[in-house]
Amino acid sequence: MNARNEVRNRVVKVPACSVFEEGEVVVARLEMPGVPKEGLEIKVDGNELAINGAKREEKTEGRYLLRERRHDAYRKLFTLDDTIARDRIEASLENGVLTLRLHIKEAAKPRRIEVS
Amino acid sequence: MDLVKMERGAPIDIWDAFEGLRGEMDRALDALKVPDSAGILDLSVAPAVDVIETEEEFMVVADVPGLRKEDLEVTITGTLLSIKGEKREEKDSEKRRYLREENRPGSFRRTIDLPPRIDPERIAAELRDGILALRIAKREEAKTKTITVSPK
Repeated sequence: MNARNEVRNRVVKVPACSVFEEGEVVVARLEMPGVPKEGLEIKVDGNELAINGAKREEKTEGRYLLRERRHDAYRKLFTLDDTIARDRIEASLENGVLTLRLHIKEAAKPRRIEVS
Repeated sequence: MDLVKMERGAPIDIWDAFEGLRGEMDRALDALKVPDSAGILDLSVAPAVDVIETEEEFMVVADVPGLRKEDLEVTITGTLLSIKGEKREEKDSEKRRYLREENRPGSFRRTIDLPPRIDPERIAAELRDGILALRIAKREEAKTKTITVSPK
């Protein structure tokens, strides 16, 4: 059974995700249970924001009586529009939930024009 | 359809058949009821669970992202293991404008009937990176023992 596990393909899951606007910040929240900070990779390439998370290896010895968790990794892609500042993306990981805070470019924020 | 000769003096009440059908449907819907849940949406947040048996113990592993220790309640009654959790509404969440919402607040309860070989007195729980791992020891007499055959 162990030999079979070694050749088994990695099962990649799309994490459950919420996106909301909070003032001038866009927040994305992704559920990635089992992913340690070291297993996380967040990349911005042009308009694409790619999030990859590898789960910490779990002990597989023993017999499964019930198996509903079959994924080893998570992957999610977002397309960023021009208003998002590429260099101001903050990430934090807590209790298996990744929170990304995407800031809006200064130039894209609504500007108030004083009427003299 | 078969042609059945109608018996005289015994009129068939077609509504009888519907009565029976309604009873069947009631029973089917009763079977879907989940104890301690407020609605059908509660089912969607029930966590995925693995149950693994090793020589020494049983392991129950559940994905509970975003839940803290105080949001979880694990109980064991006989062989029935119950995991209850509540994803709380965050403060200031009404100021948010959601574009997509796949992890909503809500509560769940997952009950797992474990084999009778468990020792409910020896159970350990650990929460790490959004994964709840429970280790339940086997009763001594349920463990595999190797008997050495001694020569005569």
